[in-house]
Amino acid sequence: MKPTVTNWVEHLTADEVAGQIYPFVGTEWLWLTIAIVLWLAWHVSTAVGESEEHQKLARKKHGSNDYKNNITEW
Amino acid sequence: MDNELTALTTIFTEFYYWMTVVLMFLIHVGFCMYEVGASRYKHHQHTLMKNTLLIPLVTITWFFFGWWIYWAFPTGPGIAPSIMTESTGLILGGGFGANDLANPTNALMAINLNDHIMGVFWAAFLLFSWTAASIVSGAVIERITTFAFGIMAIAIGSVFWSIDAAWGWHFDGWMVKLLGYHDAYASGVIHAICGGFALGILTVLGPRIGKFSSSGEPRNIGPRNPWLVCIGLFLIYTGFWGFYAACNIPIFDLGPEYGMEGVTYFTATNIYITPTTLSGITQNFLMSLSGGLLMGYWVSKGDPFWTYSGGLGGIIASSAGNDLYHPLQALIIAAIGVWCAYKLHYWVERKFKIDDAVGAVAVHGYAGVVGLVICGFVLWGYPSSGYDGYAAINPIGMIIGAIIMFGVLGFLPGWILAKILHAAGKLRIPRDVELAGLDYNIMEQARKDERAVASSNR
Repeated sequence: MKPTVTNWVEHLTADEVAGQIYPFVGTEWLWLTIAIVLWLAWHVSTAVGESEEHQKLARKKHGSNDYKNNITEW
Repeated sequence: MDNELTALTTIFTEFYYWMTVVLMFLIHVGFCMYEVGASRYKHHQHTLMKNTLLIPLVTITWFFFGWWIYWAFPTGPGIAPSIMTESTGLILGGGFGANDLANPTNALMAINLNDHIMGVFWAAFLLFSWTAASIVSGAVIERITTFAFGIMAIAIGSVFWSIDAAWGWHFDGWMVKLLGYHDAYASGVIHAICGGFALGILTVLGPRIGKFSSSGEPRNIGPRNPWLVCIGLFLIYTGFWGFYAACNIPIFDLGPEYGMEGVTYFTATNIYITPTTLSGITQNFLMSLSGGLLMGYWVSKGDPFWTYSGGLGGIIASSAGNDLYHPLQALIIAAIGVWCAYKLHYWVERKFKIDDAVGAVAVHGYAGVVGLVICGFVLWGYPSSGYDGYAAINPIGMIIGAIIMFGVLGFLPGWILAKILHAAGKLRIPRDVELAGLDYNIMEQARKDERAVASSNR
């Protein structure tokens, strides 16, 4: 795919200077789709992981003061 | 300055860089906080002093020779001719040479009514130098001597990063000309080199006592204060705004600069004097921070330290091309960089028994290298400069650039210097001191004082 800018002098001396200089102009929908899929996948994945972690902890039936045994003194 | 417009442009530029210096100070505050938070109680004060002392050590050596190296070495020397002098030798004169601008005895290196920019530009670069040394500092806590770290801080902060900036972060740099190297916000010239330098030291320095079990399994040590670590990283993000701003020239007329007859084109530019916008890089900064945070949280399963480090790593990974990327590209590149950095950190730790106390090699080194390589593909074919005769940005050039940054100017000098200091018996603190704690004497004295005060009645 051709880069958006190949020569700065030519780009800046064109009759109408194109403002957008980012790569792959015209494929914004593709990038947006990838980003949205990753964003949604992140929610699903972290929600599943969080539930598993909470269930695992809940099964141990710790008391409300048990955490004090785990305070470190590095 | 003989008219209002020139005066306004000059004073604006001077104030702009001045503000970047103030903001970048927060990077150092952040590094101090997060290193002390990561260290154990018995090492706190020495850890803080080690990181604090790099400020004067790097500052004075940056004044003596670091800044001079930046302006003298763009040609290699001997690799590619300068566009200013047309020689491959050191650039010493001709108006933009090291002796004109950066010789500590030169009149421009002091208050000078004929120049409002060089002093504050020197300071902005100096804050990059502190950052360089600080990146290394965190990796080696609790076992390096302050003397050895001082030498290392000067080497990375006032010599090797200055050489790499001359080569790859200068409008006349040979890497830009021959390789098409592009690194707008320093994925390589600050982060990859410092990650490599830290790794070079760590291979000689060895792990902290207790880091690995007898079977070689790594153990977590600390942090003593996760809050301080995270807020320190937050402050580093804040300082990074100044870092990003300082990588730009805020207002520049590219028309006469590029020899475009009759054309006036005022814009912000990056360090290579190619156009960008502060608006666009602000979006990219925030999107890459977000990509890094999301990936850091996900890959570490919600670990706060790695989530925050992921934010930083995300910015670092996309920094090479953040002057040109679309924000969505910055987001995705940041996430990829952080995933690679996290996985590589634990693989290297387990495989080579490297104890990188704060993940600096990963967050700065690996994320920086990944960012450079990706930049070579995404910006493939873009001009690396507006001047004639420069190679276009390309994957091979960027991969070679990453090797130069991480390996040649980073790992190798760090490893050699560490070997020399180790051979002289000056690299690592004695085993008994490490066990007792670097602060033992200070704490013992404080305890005595406390008892004396508690038992006194007048």
